[in-house]
Amino acid sequence: MDLPLVLNTLMLLTLAILSTPIIFPMLSSKFKNTPSTITSTVKASFLISLIPMIIHIHSGTENLTLLWEWKFIMNFKIPISLKMDFYSLTFFPIALFVSWSILQFATWYMASDPHITKFFTYLLFFLVAMLILIISNNLFLLFIGWEGVGIMSFLLISWWHGRAEANTAALQAVLYNRIGDIGLILCMAWLASTMNTWEIQQIVSPTQIPTLPLLGLVLAATGKSAQFGLHPWLPAAMEGPTPVSALLHSSTMVVAGIFLLIRTHPLFSNNPTILTLCLCLGAMSTLFAATCALTQNDIKKIIAFSTSSQLGLMMVTIGLNLPQLAFLHISTHAFFKAMLFLCSGSIIHNLNGEQDIRKMGGLQKMLPTTTSCLTIGNLALMGTPFLAGFYSKDQIIESLNTSYLNTWALVLTLLATSFTAVYTLRMTLLVQTGFVRIPPLTPMNENNPAILLPITRLALGSITAGFLITSYIPPAKTPPMTMPLYIKVTAIVVTILGMMLALELSKLTQALIKPKRNSFSDFSMNLGYFNPLAHRFITAKILGGGQNIASHLVDLSWYKMLGPEGLANLQLMASKAFTTLHTGLIKAYLGSFALSILIILMSTY
Amino acid sequence: MSILHLSFYSAFTLSSLGLAFHRTHLISALLCLESMMLSMYVALAMWPIQTHTSSSTILPILMLAFSACEAGTGLALLVASTRTHGSDHLHNFNLLQC
Repeated sequence: MDLPLVLNTLMLLTLAILSTPIIFPMLSSKFKNTPSTITSTVKASFLISLIPMIIHIHSGTENLTLLWEWKFIMNFKIPISLKMDFYSLTFFPIALFVSWSILQFATWYMASDPHITKFFTYLLFFLVAMLILIISNNLFLLFIGWEGVGIMSFLLISWWHGRAEANTAALQAVLYNRIGDIGLILCMAWLASTMNTWEIQQIVSPTQIPTLPLLGLVLAATGKSAQFGLHPWLPAAMEGPTPVSALLHSSTMVVAGIFLLIRTHPLFSNNPTILTLCLCLGAMSTLFAATCALTQNDIKKIIAFSTSSQLGLMMVTIGLNLPQLAFLHISTHAFFKAMLFLCSGSIIHNLNGEQDIRKMGGLQKMLPTTTSCLTIGNLALMGTPFLAGFYSKDQIIESLNTSYLNTWALVLTLLATSFTAVYTLRMTLLVQTGFVRIPPLTPMNENNPAILLPITRLALGSITAGFLITSYIPPAKTPPMTMPLYIKVTAIVVTILGMMLALELSKLTQALIKPKRNSFSDFSMNLGYFNPLAHRFITAKILGGGQNIASHLVDLSWYKMLGPEGLANLQLMASKAFTTLHTGLIKAYLGSFALSILIILMSTY
Repeated sequence: MSILHLSFYSAFTLSSLGLAFHRTHLISALLCLESMMLSMYVALAMWPIQTHTSSSTILPILMLAFSACEAGTGLALLVASTRTHGSDHLHNFNLLQC
């Protein structure tokens, strides 16, 4: 059996099956999409995409397919080339599995929405764009997918567009993504002008690539993956419905920036500036997000900040020159983060729209399956041994500890790991345990297969995914095998310390002590004062400077004082001085006649 | 130059200055014009006497004839402007049409 042919055909078949709900309604008017047809389409393409992954695991087959080529100009042709290597073959089933579960959940969550079919079509468009991004081999096709996921993110965040905060959040997402896009376009422009190609295989050169295009790539990842500096859009994106948060802003879209860095990793694997930049930026992002999550009271915002923190951890892994480990963390993170969002969605709907964890409590008895899966997800997130998160997170922390890199990044990452434990345990305790703080007469019912099946499926994935992936995929670089005991157990110890701290702090809620307000809690609650600084102060300064330059400098001073009107004023002064001579009276003319005669007489002497 | 020439030059210059810098009435300008003519007549009359050429004796008479016409023209202008402007005050005479 010709394995590359089967691999290629089945991957293209996966993409084709996913695009049938988009194409068929255009061909005949009798064919209408429904949420359940779209869900079963995604389920079918997930099952088909398992086969290429198994073929790759079995025999290491990879494939590079060239579809049609755009003959742009004479020596610069842009092909549609799809690379089916380890990254794309493994990510396809994972993304499709998570999407199938989320779509099945959304049939219950958005059941009361009149435009539910449009919602599902939007999610499908997003999924197709994301898969194009994953499977692309040249930066042009990747950019198409990049922009596609950006647009669908905008449309989906502002799904309830009657709400002003949703529109603001969608606009924020688009603007921050756009700033990142500048970096990607910079890199593409440099590559097109210097190397005359956008194919990833051809841009790996033995000589060092200058730092500027690589900085553009890092900027693109900062924008799309919400690293520190371009991060405010991710917590604001929680205005969208929970399936949107689960699909876009936890598993798939936000990892697109990290995935870009993984794909173009050979470009900067020997450029220490970029690696150090990624390391420090990632460490900063992970600590900042974890600090902000400590004092959040909205359940979706806590999970959003935890996503942001894990994205920072992925960036740290890129900075350690370990792209495959970052990809492993992306894969395992997708499972438990999507599951956390689905559990929160189930809780929110069952509490009739309540998102504040201070008004939840004791849900363990009322929503058993949901809260058990919430616990599993939180334990996986904390890096509990042998759940999914452990295999990637512990390996990252070990590699960080045994490397000769920046100690400050190490300290920040360890602190963020313990903060992760603190806020996840805080969320778990406040939501599930303790006294009930919800209003009575809340009709709660989770006995719907549309809720239970996706959540339990993803829980199964959270438990086993790490184990399965690391068993069947050999690592690209040998992980550090020997290290002192205290380094080996650093991650666990730090997590346990965080858990103890959280348990200690949770007793405060029952002790009737008013929590003291100090500058640290203020910093955490106001998200580091970043939002008012960046959104108000900086923009006011820039717009004020623009007004100064355009209006005051150019219009008022140059045009009025120095330019045309200034000349006119000078002329006016001269004219006013000479007006007395032009009275039209004969006396003036005779006076000038006498003056000229006098001058002539004088000149003869 | 001799004192004769000085007197001609100074009479002519003073008259022309008087023509240029007259104050209120046009008729004072005309009078200055007449005195310019007078000084020129006297100068022209002294010329054949000083240079002993008698063929230019007719020149002052010619000049006198022309100056008489000119004085008549000036007075006619004065009368016409008084008819239109009401007086011969100089600040009424304005070339500007607005």
